[in-house]
Amino acid sequence: MAVCIAVIAKENYPLYIRSVPTENELKFHYTVHTSLDVVDEKISAMGKALVDQRELYLGLLYPTEDYKVYGYVTNSKVKFVMVVDSSNTALRDNEIRSMFRKLHNSYTDIMCNPFYNPGDRIHSKAFDNMVTSMMMQVC
Amino acid sequence: MHLMNSELFTLTYGALVTQLCKDYENDEDVNKQLDKMGYNIGVRLIEDFLARSNVGRCHDFRETADVIAKIAFKMYLGITPSITNWSPGGDEFSLILENNPLVDFVELPDNHSSLIYSNLLCGVLRGALEMVQMAVDVKFVQDTLKGDSVTEIRMKFIRRIEDNLPAGEE
Repeated sequence: MAVCIAVIAKENYPLYIRSVPTENELKFHYTVHTSLDVVDEKISAMGKALVDQRELYLGLLYPTEDYKVYGYVTNSKVKFVMVVDSSNTALRDNEIRSMFRKLHNSYTDIMCNPFYNPGDRIHSKAFDNMVTSMMMQVC
Repeated sequence: MHLMNSELFTLTYGALVTQLCKDYENDEDVNKQLDKMGYNIGVRLIEDFLARSNVGRCHDFRETADVIAKIAFKMYLGITPSITNWSPGGDEFSLILENNPLVDFVELPDNHSSLIYSNLLCGVLRGALEMVQMAVDVKFVQDTLKGDSVTEIRMKFIRRIEDNLPAGEE
């Protein structure tokens, strides 16, 4: 259901980005890249309120003709961006939220791997599998 | 008994192993070093173990195996491995660890394929048993980090150490 999932470091470079192989990869890279501005905007606009509520989920960043882009930012300013097919109307806010939470937990596990150096690109089979399952999952 | 947060424990061990990987050129040296460190822990830990657990002398190797799996592992790692695969002579057995608390979160990178991540445990067992006059050979034969479904530690009894002197390896 998700067509592209990306993890972006605090300094806005990608730690991980993967999209469904059937589509043009570069297109999604652009989409994710553009979304970062919206993420920054959202954070600074309601930064204070977000911190107070401890709300990490940013909601819909912007819709395009074919896709919807959602964002999530951790307290350490690592961003998760997810692109989903907008024809998939069954996907509700709550499900997106729980997918992000799963992503966040998985990311935490990677950070705890002693062989992973923070800031490096993510090469983890466990993370790969989790992302694949999110892309395959049917709603 | 004081309890330690398991993530902190796992991360501490991880930091130790990765530092060794940086300090030594090849994995064999790291394995050796882990074993040596474990040995030094074992020779000390056995005193603590005997003082706290009140177990008496074991009459045969099977009893030793039970004490290791059901009391020692429980006490120090909070797990109870199962004992299987006894050799016909009764001098060799396997400890099966369903989950190994040392390897939570760990994924071995491809360039460390011959690293025995939890080799410290072997050293601990070897050191501890040596202090109670048993020379044993301990090694990993299966490891979940290498894709096996369980972790298996093989222990082989070699001989009784007659005199009370510990071998000088410290």
